[in-house]
Amino acid sequence: MDGVVDTAVEALVPGTGPDSPRRVRIIDATLACLARHGTTKTTVDDIARQAGVSRATVYRVFPGGRDQILGAVVDTEMARLFSALGVRLGEAGDLTEALVGGIVEASTRLRDHAALAYLVEHEPEMVLGHLAFDESDRLLVAASHFTAPFLARWMSPPEAERVTEWATRIVLSYAIAPSDRMDLTDPSQTAHLVTTFVLPGIRSLHAAGTPTVIDITPFGSPQAPPDPPARSFPGSARSGHPSTDQHPSEHSRATEHSRATEHSNATARSKGAMP
Amino acid sequence: MGDTRQRILEATYACVARWGLAKTSVEDAAREAKVSRATVYRTFPGGRDELISAVVAWATLEFFIELYEQVQGAESLEQVMERGIMFAHRSIVEHEVLQRVMQTEPEKLLPTLTFESNRIRQGIAEFLVPYLEQRGVAPGVDLREAADFLARMVLSYMSAPGRWDLDDPVQVAQLVRAELLAGVVAGPGPASPQPPGLAGLDG
Repeated sequence: MDGVVDTAVEALVPGTGPDSPRRVRIIDATLACLARHGTTKTTVDDIARQAGVSRATVYRVFPGGRDQILGAVVDTEMARLFSALGVRLGEAGDLTEALVGGIVEASTRLRDHAALAYLVEHEPEMVLGHLAFDESDRLLVAASHFTAPFLARWMSPPEAERVTEWATRIVLSYAIAPSDRMDLTDPSQTAHLVTTFVLPGIRSLHAAGTPTVIDITPFGSPQAPPDPPARSFPGSARSGHPSTDQHPSEHSRATEHSRATEHSNATARSKGAMP
Repeated sequence: MGDTRQRILEATYACVARWGLAKTSVEDAAREAKVSRATVYRTFPGGRDELISAVVAWATLEFFIELYEQVQGAESLEQVMERGIMFAHRSIVEHEVLQRVMQTEPEKLLPTLTFESNRIRQGIAEFLVPYLEQRGVAPGVDLREAADFLARMVLSYMSAPGRWDLDDPVQVAQLVRAELLAGVVAGPGPASPQPPGLAGLDG
C-alpha cells in the first residue's frame, strides 16, 4: 500500500518512471489475463504474450516476477481509482456534490472492474485477504489521505481526513455486502444516504470540535459571519489547489475569533445546539 | 448429536489455537475430541472444509454472544453503541487465535467471515432496533434503514479503527454521538463521558 501514493504520482505525471509506458502495458495485460482466468492461471508467459513483449522484457521491468507484478497491479489500479476520484471531487460545486459524486464514482468503478469481479467470484480469498483488520486500516488511511485535500474547500484538514475515512468505509461496506435497498452506484440513492446520515454527522463533528483543529469558527456560531454553504478555513489552503480562496483578512478575523471560538464552542455544546 | 458436534467444534478450536488453521486436520480434531474420525465425518459430511467453516462460524457466534453480554445492560442507544465498539475493538485486538490466523493464513478465514457478515450485520441491526425505538429517530428517518446503516458502521469501526483511538472513551463518544448518530436520532441524548476541562457535551 505504501507504493500507492508514489504510483499515483507516476500515473498522473507520465514518463517519470523508467520504462513507464512498457510498465503500464504489462500491467494492463495482466489485468486482461486476470479478468479472464484469475491469478492461478495467469503466468508470466501469459502476461508477456498478452502485452506483446518478451518474457525477458517482463522480468526486466519486474525482476520480482509474478508476485511483484500482482503487487504493482494493485497499486496501479488503486492509483487510477484515486485519480478518477480526484477529478470527480475537484469538479464538485459543493460538499454534497463532492460526497455523492465521490461515493458513486468509487462504487461504480469497484462494481465494474473486470479483474476484481473475476477474483471476487472465483478467488475470494485473494481479495478478502486484503480487506480485513490491519490491511483494511491501511487502505482506509491511504484512501482518506489521498482524497481529503479535495474537501479542503469546506473543512479543516483533520476534519476532511475523518470525513473521507468515513466515506471510504461506506463505499467498502456496500461493495463487500451489497444491499438491495441502497445502491451506491445510483446518485439519487447515494444523495439520500449522504443527506440523511453523513451531512448531519459532519456538522455535528464540526460543532463538537475535532481534535488538533486550529482556528476554527463553528457553523452557526453567533460570532461567525453569515454562513455561505461553502467556506474556506484558514490553514486549509493547499499550494496549487485552485479552488481554495483564502483572503488575508479572513485569516486575521479567524485568529481574532479563535479565543471567542473556545467559549462559543463550549456555549454551543452546553446548550445542545446543533447547526 | 448436538453434544458431539459441540465437542468436536471446541476441540477443533483448541487445535487451531495451538497449531494454526493449516496444521489442523480431521485426525487432530478427532483425537482432541476423543471421538473417531468416522464420527467427525458423520457430523461434518463436507470433511475438513466444512469443519473449518463451522469452527469459524462457531467462534464468531461466541464472540458476539460475549459482546451481547457486555452491552445488554446499556440503558441508551448511545451507551450500547459506545460499549459495543469499545469492547469489540478490544476483544479483537486481544484475540490471540484470531490475530494469529489473520497474520498467517487470513485467506482461510475471511471468505467464511464475509459469508457470515450478512447474518452478523442483520443480528446487530435487529439488536439496535429497540434502542432506536426507545431513543426516537429524527423525522424522515426510516428506522430499519438507520439500523442497517449503523450496523454496517459498527462492524467497520470495530474491525478497523482507522484514525480513531477506540480505547479512548471520549473519542468513542464523539464517534458515536457526533458522527454516527447525528443524522439518526431525534433531539439531545444522555450525558457523555466528559473530557477534563471542557463544558458538558450534551446532545
